[in-house]
Amino acid sequence: MKPLLEKARRNRFLKPMEPVFDALEAAVFGSDATTAGGPHCVDGLDIKRYMTVVIAGLTPAVLAAVWAFGVRSLAMIVVSYLFGGLVEVGFAMARKKHIHEGFLVTGLIFPLTLPPTVPLWVVAVGVVVGTLFGKEMFGGTGRNIFNPALVGRLFVTIAFPSIMSTAWQIPGSDAITTATPLGMYKTSQAVTALTDLLVGRATGSMGEVFRVGLIAGGLFVIWTRVSEWRIPLSYLGSVAILSAAGHRFAPARVAPPLFQLFAGGLMLGAFFMATDPVTSPFTKAGKWVFGTMCGLLTVLIRGFSGYVEGVMFSIVIMNGLAPLIDHIVLKATFRPRPRAKAGAPAPAPAHCGSCACGRDGGRGGER
Amino acid sequence: MNLRRLLGKERYKTLLKGVWTEHPISSMCLGICSALAVSNKVENAIAMGAGVTFVLIATAVMVSSLRKMIPARGRMITYMVTIASFVIVVDKFLKAYFPVISETMGPYVGLIITNCILMGRAEAFYARNPLGLSLVDAVANGIAYSYTLTGIAVVREVLGFGTLLGMRVMPAGWENWVVLSLAPGAFFLLGLFLWITRTLAGVEPPREG
Repeated sequence: MKPLLEKARRNRFLKPMEPVFDALEAAVFGSDATTAGGPHCVDGLDIKRYMTVVIAGLTPAVLAAVWAFGVRSLAMIVVSYLFGGLVEVGFAMARKKHIHEGFLVTGLIFPLTLPPTVPLWVVAVGVVVGTLFGKEMFGGTGRNIFNPALVGRLFVTIAFPSIMSTAWQIPGSDAITTATPLGMYKTSQAVTALTDLLVGRATGSMGEVFRVGLIAGGLFVIWTRVSEWRIPLSYLGSVAILSAAGHRFAPARVAPPLFQLFAGGLMLGAFFMATDPVTSPFTKAGKWVFGTMCGLLTVLIRGFSGYVEGVMFSIVIMNGLAPLIDHIVLKATFRPRPRAKAGAPAPAPAHCGSCACGRDGGRGGER
Repeated sequence: MNLRRLLGKERYKTLLKGVWTEHPISSMCLGICSALAVSNKVENAIAMGAGVTFVLIATAVMVSSLRKMIPARGRMITYMVTIASFVIVVDKFLKAYFPVISETMGPYVGLIITNCILMGRAEAFYARNPLGLSLVDAVANGIAYSYTLTGIAVVREVLGFGTLLGMRVMPAGWENWVVLSLAPGAFFLLGLFLWITRTLAGVEPPREG
């Protein structure tokens, strides 16, 4: 196959298709490219590894979706990959760049956030809008401000309100109902049993119903250090604390904490979307702020807005603020040193504290 | 090429600039507010485009023929009064002959006064160029504004309402794209429009210094 690829690559007419060949070759043969400058890691650690781990972490949720909602959910995933992939390949060809593996996760997460009954064309519209406006417009993988899957989801939510919020399939059957656990709380303060929520017997979006699998997959991704623990912990923690406080003072609006944690898309969002390394802050303190604010917004939107679920909105809002959070954290961490007074001896440089260099940071104005 | 010979080189260049390379919306980002607000239905877009074109032409005639008499210090006020008078004419005309359109467009007809294209062109072009050239520029900018608004409105009306100029074009089972009938949907389309036209016309984004 390799000679065939080489031959196709040299063909003049197939020149625009080069990214496709690159992707094929990388997928089949792997990459033997090494970094030119330091640091050198003796490891094939690249985007592909990251994405593969995330997809592995999502596998239980996908299998549960297929079990609960039938082959239709597979068709939704295929449509999502197909149309999103077309946009991705089109842009890679136009920009003469490599096809990024980042799309493999977007194309999988997006259908998982949808209600299981949506028509396939909505899946196609959403994934195209998400990839185009959420990612390619900003320059492709790694440059996007917002999570592409959530941009797509947001678009279809606003564009097709009747499709997106009225018909929910009960897992494991063909019955359709109009209520989700969060919606039932909003209308009648009914709390769904935790066991139903955990094992996927309650209604919800395709990928969010089987929460045991989501938590296990999320912990697996954290264990492999592909995503890290600060954002999920602070997100879930702040939802728990704030909803406990809110439920005490306004029980008619704010649901109790355990129910809030396991209802809706919180587990999927906290483990797989808020942790997106591109759209979340990269400083550690920033991650705490990010997660906590996500939790605050989620509880507020769930309790006090017209919408039933707030995970998507809160993550997208915080995505927009992530660069600002990083900026503030960096400014607070790396303050310029106080000027030495003229004539007085310069103060002894303090240990820099924030880095692990183990020496005092007396290296002049380097920072 | 006929048009070029007909207009003469300089006028042709002005026309081309206004309609394409220095497009008021895509290249200068003027008149964005009304482009977002009034482009939900094609008939509104056409009315708005015609109104703005009329006011542009009238302002061009007034300002460029009076340009030597307008004192430099009071020029903004002069433009404002000129523009406002013609906007009132448009508003009354629409109210008299197209009351339905006037009703749906609501305050946006009056808000043509604040449309940055008018003030921008008056200050940048009509105040320092002769009548003929200013007239060409006014027509070019009016055309550019109108075709942009109408183009966006066609997409928005077809997808957002399933109609075109009020006539049903989409099949019975069509699900309206609600977002496109709201202002946020116009942002998506206007963004796409800017992206495509700027790429085609080779407009460079301003570099940060």
